[in-house]
Amino acid sequence: MSGESNRAGPCAWLLLAPLLAWLAAFVVAPTAILVVYAFCQHDELGRVVYQFTFDNFARAADRVYLVIFARSIGYAALTTALCLAAGFPAAWHIARAPADRRRHLLLLVMIPFWTSFLIRTYAWMTILKQDGLLNGLLRAAGLIPAPLELLYTPGAVTLGLVYTYLPFMILPIYASAEKLDGALLEAAQDLGAGPWRIFPTVVFPLAWPGIAAGLLLVFVPAIGMFAVTDLMGGGRIPLIGNVIQNQFTQARDWPFGAALGVVFLALFAAAFAVLRRARPAVP
Amino acid sequence: MRLPALAALLLAAAAPAAARDQLNLFAWSEYVPQKVIDGFTAETGTEVNYETFSSNEEMISKLVAGHGDYDLVQPSDYAAEALIKAGLLAPLDPAQLRNRDNLDPAFRHLPHDPAERYTVPYMAGTVGLCINTAVVTAPVTGYADVFQPRFAGRIVVLNDNREIVSWALATLGLPPNQITPQTLAQVRPVIARWVKLVKVFDSDSPKTALLNGDVDLGVVWSGEAAILWKQDHKYRYVLPREGAHQYIDCLAIPVGAPHPAAAHRFIDYLLRPEVSKLISDEFPYTNPNAAARKLLSPEQLSNPASYPPAGKLETFRDIGRLASAVDQLMTDIKSGQ
Amino acid sequence: MPARPTLLDRGLGLWTGAVLVFLYAPIAVLVAYSFNASRLNIVWEGFTFRWYEAVWQNRPLVRATENSLLVAGGSTVLAVVLGTGGAWLLHRYRFRGATAIATLLAVPMVMPEILMGISLLVFFTLVRLPLGFATVIIGHVTFCIPFVLSAIQARLEGMDPALEEAALDLGATPLRAFLLVILPYLAPAIAAGALMAATLSLDELIVTFFTTSSASTTLPLRIFGMAKIGLNPMLNALSAAFVATAALFQLLIGRFRRPAA
Repeated sequence: MSGESNRAGPCAWLLLAPLLAWLAAFVVAPTAILVVYAFCQHDELGRVVYQFTFDNFARAADRVYLVIFARSIGYAALTTALCLAAGFPAAWHIARAPADRRRHLLLLVMIPFWTSFLIRTYAWMTILKQDGLLNGLLRAAGLIPAPLELLYTPGAVTLGLVYTYLPFMILPIYASAEKLDGALLEAAQDLGAGPWRIFPTVVFPLAWPGIAAGLLLVFVPAIGMFAVTDLMGGGRIPLIGNVIQNQFTQARDWPFGAALGVVFLALFAAAFAVLRRARPAVP
Repeated sequence: MRLPALAALLLAAAAPAAARDQLNLFAWSEYVPQKVIDGFTAETGTEVNYETFSSNEEMISKLVAGHGDYDLVQPSDYAAEALIKAGLLAPLDPAQLRNRDNLDPAFRHLPHDPAERYTVPYMAGTVGLCINTAVVTAPVTGYADVFQPRFAGRIVVLNDNREIVSWALATLGLPPNQITPQTLAQVRPVIARWVKLVKVFDSDSPKTALLNGDVDLGVVWSGEAAILWKQDHKYRYVLPREGAHQYIDCLAIPVGAPHPAAAHRFIDYLLRPEVSKLISDEFPYTNPNAAARKLLSPEQLSNPASYPPAGKLETFRDIGRLASAVDQLMTDIKSGQ
Repeated sequence: MPARPTLLDRGLGLWTGAVLVFLYAPIAVLVAYSFNASRLNIVWEGFTFRWYEAVWQNRPLVRATENSLLVAGGSTVLAVVLGTGGAWLLHRYRFRGATAIATLLAVPMVMPEILMGISLLVFFTLVRLPLGFATVIIGHVTFCIPFVLSAIQARLEGMDPALEEAALDLGATPLRAFLLVILPYLAPAIAAGALMAATLSLDELIVTFFTTSSASTTLPLRIFGMAKIGLNPMLNALSAAFVATAALFQLLIGRFRRPAA
């Protein structure tokens, strides 16, 4: 990196100003509103009453909510791992494909998600339900004697989550892997390394920025996802997204919802700041 | 494609309304038929901007968080009560609502608005038991019959915490509106037992699980059961003997509405029997308009979910701050099993 | 690059195919059911086009689709502009408080949608900004930016700094270097980011609910209410039409593409 012009001068700050202004108006200000709410009390309608209280945060530390947080994080972690396992090979393949096919494949990956998530999820339910397509196929092929209970299970929930977030793992890995110089791979092969050595030593470290981006783009939003999981899981298992949503609707307790949200954000901010320092060295 | 239009829209966002009169309607989705709206526009020249919500609470939170510039909202009874208490609804002018006498006396002077100052009933419904009689042959007449071990994993219920608590209260012989920390503690073990037997919690479309064959019976909205009945008469609807929740969705005008005259005109228009009939034709809820009922077909009137035989009915009252305690109880129970 | 496809290459190709099958399974189902004459989607009752006709004649639905496309287009453009510029500036120059800025930039991605929706509505009310297309787009852009940024940053991470140095040595101003060297280099990441942004915007429900007026109602809002009354095959037809149009569009772009860079 060229040394002297590295520090941001007034020109750079000016260019960054629009983005900063956007952040200030539409991220900082609303977040500040939420933080204020989190310390307030509520009235009968759920509205905020500007009287200071620490109760909301005290309540957020209750065992019930900690368990729910943990459960949500667990599902998100599983989803991320599965997305990585399924998405990396596909992203890699697309990135190494000939140039004209690359864009087609990418668009193919995204197009299903231009339909409403509700319609897609209902379609999955049609496939997975007891007298649904999958069971019908398996029974017709004689593989199972009686229909399997596929829907309204943790498996269905995971499938729904993986389905929702897979493209958000594939795209960043593609962006990163696309620039990988084929010569590097050839050189490693010429030196006698097989694919099982090339992957951890060459491919993975070089694709790491994309992988890290994919991990972040899947793991973090997945923690707060509840719409798809409610449909696929039958709404039996409360996740943190449900709980927060409820506070602004059924439970009529905006300050508590805000407090849960603030805790959520704080956890994320801390993890994010830590992760930024802990990048693995790229050779 | 519409860039000039976008620019114009952005500029017009703050500009006063166009020459044509407007009506900003904030109502349940799938509750006001397009035919009805078009008819109103054709007759009065008023354009209706129909914005939708999917739950009372969503509507309340949007009203509370910011000005939606709505002329007409559609709260259920207890939600209307909460809005009235918070001073968010404007009083109605009875002189502009002549057709109000078309309503059945049973739907006048309701507990949430006894003087009828703020609301007019739109459609009503109940929450009751829907049973697939092709699979379930034993008699099911109450909540206690539904939540039996033999139906484990074959039950669908509404994903509404307050509803579930009210059913448990009913089985204990308590009124559904008597929600106190003590009664919540009483219903806790009942609900904990029930929740283990439920396969699906769904307030949006509980009929899906029944149609799919994933469940055999459940506690659902009457509108859902009515649709199932129209599809196949094997889906029977029964009001639970311990007591059923009747909800009445109303029309109301929020404080600060920009077009109150148009709002009154629309309400009066909806109260006409032939218009009300159109609503019933498209959505099989309980029609509180006695004059409209005379225009309905025998098929429609015989739908047991739309017009259930008399039962023990109670409406919800606003429980204010206790909604939070209800939510915490249900979250705790659901999370713990 | 190996001259002939190895076993590994073939394996990866198969895997990608399997992933695509997985992604399109529900799409295939909904396309099939969009031709189903039965209204409640459970049994097959005959082939029909009438749901497609019904969609075409349903004015509010068509209007909502137009709105969604407009909002998605505007949001994507803005998010890409702000995100790309921001990612480059943060990468190229050392700003004081860079970590704080980076964290703030990622917040919209993690904030639960109802919180974002309500807080934005409260904010708009405070500054007396009327609800409509502008506010909806603002909401969409805000949570799209982290995704675009992420994709661009991932690509910048491994970029050879010599790229820009060389351009500067050859006499280009930093701006020209950016436009003529860096931007083309970033193209795949920009495409990825734009795709993500468009997808997020087209499917957004909760934030839109709180920031919209009835004039700017988007498709997901309309669909959400309709789907509840009963898996309306009209919605399947609409979704199928969307997919088909997008695929067609893609084919058309393919015809007019520039030669591979």
